Amino acid sequence: MRLWRFERRWLVEVFQTILPSRADPQLSLGAADLPIDRFIDDLTMHAPRRLVLGLRLALWVVVFSPLVLSRRLRTFFGLGRADRVALLDRLRQSRWYLLRELPVLLKSVACLGYCGHPAVQAQIGIRPIDERPPSWAQ
Amino acid sequence: MTTRDGADVVIIGTGAAGATAARVLTEAGVDTVLIEEGPSVPTNELRGDLYSGMKRVWRDMGGQLAHGRSFIPILQASCVGGTTAINGAIIRRLPTEIYDLWRREHGFAFSYEELERVWDTLDRELGVAEPPDPVRGGNNRLLAEATRALGIGGNWIQRNVKGCEGKARCLQGCPTERKQSMNVSYIPRAIAAGARLYPTCRARRLQVKGGRAIGVEAEFVDRPGKSLFVEARRAVIVAASAIQTPLFLQENGIGRRSGQVGRRFQAHPGTAVIGRFDEKVDLWFGATQGYESDHYWNERMKFETLALPVELGAVRLPGVGPELMHQLADYGHLAQWAVQVRARAHGRVRSGLAGGATISYDPTDEDVQTLKLGVKRLTELLFAAGAREVLPGVHGLPDRIRSFDEIRPIDALPDDPRLFHCVATHLFGTAVMGTDPARSVVNPFGEAHELSGLFVADSSYFPTNLGVNPQHTIAAVAWLIAEQIANAPRR
Repeated sequence: MRLWRFERRWLVEVFQTILPSRADPQLSLGAADLPIDRFIDDLTMHAPRRLVLGLRLALWVVVFSPLVLSRRLRTFFGLGRADRVALLDRLRQSRWYLLRELPVLLKSVACLGYCGHPAVQAQIGIRPIDERPPSWAQ
Repeated sequence: MTTRDGADVVIIGTGAAGATAARVLTEAGVDTVLIEEGPSVPTNELRGDLYSGMKRVWRDMGGQLAHGRSFIPILQASCVGGTTAINGAIIRRLPTEIYDLWRREHGFAFSYEELERVWDTLDRELGVAEPPDPVRGGNNRLLAEATRALGIGGNWIQRNVKGCEGKARCLQGCPTERKQSMNVSYIPRAIAAGARLYPTCRARRLQVKGGRAIGVEAEFVDRPGKSLFVEARRAVIVAASAIQTPLFLQENGIGRRSGQVGRRFQAHPGTAVIGRFDEKVDLWFGATQGYESDHYWNERMKFETLALPVELGAVRLPGVGPELMHQLADYGHLAQWAVQVRARAHGRVRSGLAGGATISYDPTDEDVQTLKLGVKRLTELLFAAGAREVLPGVHGLPDRIRSFDEIRPIDALPDDPRLFHCVATHLFGTAVMGTDPARSVVNPFGEAHELSGLFVADSSYFPTNLGVNPQHTIAAVAWLIAEQIANAPRR
């Protein structure tokens, strides 16, 4: 199951919010510095259908949750960088289990791609056994 | 197009049970065929990132979930070698308390002396030993120090690894093939002794004649329209795990009389607690799981170190955005330890509407209380080892705590599994053994009550969970069932 092109763009932006560039002096690489859109393509091509459905649900809820949470006519993309982070944190700490699991799913998938890249691992201090980038990043 | 083969024994599944049974049967001169749904992937090809390996060898890419009040990932491999290819290489013998329970209440057929004879052989052949000093690694050493500091029991883990290089990649598939998972140990050994292996081949239908299992039909999952039929002259052994075995039995109408197939599913749900240290820990070096504590086993919990790959460990770090990046940058200072619970909960495994398994499982209130106590004790251990702060990972508690007193509010939280991010890796029940055909699926020797010649030899057979890591018990039971088939007079 593939995402629509606009969903893929949304997901890239959410991943860039979760894993921003130049946020830490040691770990300067962020999701924006990797071809994370190609990771999304690869994942949606290989992952079980229900995982992609869950990802899609999480994405839509995150994108439109500001309408409900802030009661203003704006989506995730109408928020500044700090407000996007605050929104994801707020969802993560929701009293409703299903709601707080959605950003966790997005974070899991983002980290699965991002943290596996040898350039990221090298900045963390890990010396990868195989220094070639994964196939989606080549 | 159908490929035809014939053997004395057909084994479905190549994990700890199937591979061990194949090793015993082939070396006893029994002609054996192995059918495996997953691919044959040399683990030395799994040298890259976790995601690339998950695509190749993890069932549903790690997305298989148990559903109750919470979602609990059920991690399994789908490849030659089964989950032994991606487990932590922990070797434990069946606790005598559990053995006595099985003997007393379920008529378990094998003596402890027989099990010990097999374990001794397995230990020798699979290189079971504690991690050597140079590859113990910071994460394991810290738990050893903590248990000493608090005066509680603990030990270096016995592992099936020969010449460990401390790459901390057991969960991704050992890239140097030092871990003696079944794909590098008993499968090649069985093939050398004459076994034939059909990978990427899913067993579908059991052939039955005159009340006896006489063969297996299977489909090649990577070659549509291509199928396999293997005649079984003496027996069919189902060893596909506590999830896939009941699905195969259900699809073939086995166990309808007792209604027990897929029921009595048990697990060891567990969760990890993270400590941040001033000193470097370097989770990426050392035995993935090298130290454990059974001190509170009677309270249904066990502690062990767990060096998660950063791709998974990152999810447990608090926050998103800049906070997450700071945490990730500091990953080298983190230690990760886990509590696994000998849960009382029973679940159920059924075929899902869209294929695969539907797993219903909900930890009981008492299980959640055990989890809470386990997290509290791990927190105490982390502070005893010198942690600067602890990340408990429990909803309703702060993301980071800096003293043991700050974990105490966990007692006041509701007994709700949704507070935790649990994972279940040890799976039991679903085709349990017993003497009463109304309450069990197979007899104490593993043979189906309803159909002669059909055996279940994996942890589906286990009537309860163990409270310890099950690979060695699974292998020993499969060994003894296989020996009995090999020694039985030919029909």
